[in-house]
Amino acid sequence: MIVFKDVGLVYPNGVHALSNIDLELGRGEFVFLVGGSGQGKSSLLKCIYREVEPTTGEVDIDGVPLRGIAAGQIPFLRRKVGVVFQDFKLLQQKTVWENVAYALQVTGASSRDVMRRVPRMLELVGIAHKSKMFPYELSGGEQQRTAIARSLVNNPLILLCDEPTGNLDPETSNEIMALLARINAKGTTVVVATHNQAVVDRMRRRVVRLTNGRIANDQERGHYHIGLG
Amino acid sequence: MDWGKVRFFWAEVAQNFTRNLTMAVTAVGTVAVSVVLLGTILFLHESFAIFMKQVVGQVTIAAYLKDNTPKTQVDGTLRVMKSDPRVETVTFVSKKQAMDGLRDRLRGQMNLNLINSNPLPDAILVHPADPNDSGSIAKRLQGLPAVASVNYRSDITEKLLRVESVLGAVGLGVVSLLLAATALLIYNTIRLTVFARRSEIHIMQLVGATHWTVRWPFVFEGILTGVAGAVIGIALLEFAYRTFAPRIAIDLPFLPFNFAVVPVGVIAFELLCTGALVGMLASMLSVSRYLRSS
Repeated sequence: MIVFKDVGLVYPNGVHALSNIDLELGRGEFVFLVGGSGQGKSSLLKCIYREVEPTTGEVDIDGVPLRGIAAGQIPFLRRKVGVVFQDFKLLQQKTVWENVAYALQVTGASSRDVMRRVPRMLELVGIAHKSKMFPYELSGGEQQRTAIARSLVNNPLILLCDEPTGNLDPETSNEIMALLARINAKGTTVVVATHNQAVVDRMRRRVVRLTNGRIANDQERGHYHIGLG
Repeated sequence: MDWGKVRFFWAEVAQNFTRNLTMAVTAVGTVAVSVVLLGTILFLHESFAIFMKQVVGQVTIAAYLKDNTPKTQVDGTLRVMKSDPRVETVTFVSKKQAMDGLRDRLRGQMNLNLINSNPLPDAILVHPADPNDSGSIAKRLQGLPAVASVNYRSDITEKLLRVESVLGAVGLGVVSLLLAATALLIYNTIRLTVFARRSEIHIMQLVGATHWTVRWPFVFEGILTGVAGAVIGIALLEFAYRTFAPRIAIDLPFLPFNFAVVPVGVIAFELLCTGALVGMLASMLSVSRYLRSS
């Protein structure tokens, strides 16, 4: 589903974010990316949703090489990839329902489609009863559920989560991770970049550790401290 | 028609427009002022053009023929002029017709019995299709063997044509500056709106909105700004026209302009289209530049 072939990324300011990344993530896999701040987790995710273009190497998504992809094709790639952030990135002046519907509306979905898919998605993430509320009226966990609903409403093949529990208490973090596991069980490939040792150790999924922009360790059913000795 | 989509689209446009209301109102006001100035220039230009058409359009080149020119040579001269594509009409005026005309004009002003000889020559009157060709046609006539001299009031015609071209160039310069200033203001307004909505644009891009989906609401905001400003400007011009045009006609009757025949409807339509076009181009440029850099 996602293939990195000898990928390197150097930002315009000269920072080497990624070096020699060779990685293959299968369809329906659940993968944790772990490592300290500035080790390249977010940069690796950005290469997948094409926020940045690798300086060297090749990234393939669902069999499509991203190198040299036309600018006009990037939006269509992004419809295959949902993204969830630590700070939720919700539109504060729109309700929960409108935030989720927005992702459909801007991709040109018909209003019938919007009416059909939004309630289903809100139901899936367990926030249907708060659909008329605004983000600032919700708890952190509820906001993250809204963000997950928005990222899933276009039925992406891949869900990328950049520190999804970074702003949440442990109990809410567990709920969000359980939700991500449920989404993964339906066939969506889930990649989670996280610092949250507790959830990584409890879920025991594939763990990829990044250190100085390189893959230091990659283990099936791993734990947070893999490769740290 | 999917009304849900239409509603969503216009809600986005309205949100853009109201997000920076002060800036939007300033932009609309600037467009209105530009349209008033532009409209005034267009109006005066049209008035002058109509006046020019009336005055310069009557330019006639008179070619006086040599005495005792054989009829075949006169006919040849007439043929040469009639076959010239720059010439609209050619009329032969004989000595006798010229004298009859002079007598008619002087009747009652002097004793016509005092005129007992005819010093006037045969003449050919040539009316050019374009007054700008008067000089070259006169030159050609001058070169024909039957022609003694040519008169076409070259001084007045050329002066008027020069005034027209200078006024046209100055008007074009002022209009260009005004349009550039208007476009710059709309460009900045849209840039501020884009900046205010950057997080939304980022989210739109993340969920797979195409560049055009992002662009359209901003482009329509630009068009709306242009059209709103143009409508206000046209309303002010219309008010000024209704108030002052009849008064000028009465109070300053010596002015050679006839404001009543100026096509104000056409000018209003041109101004509206200009407002919309400037708004559209400025906003497209602004949002495209942001999208390229993001």
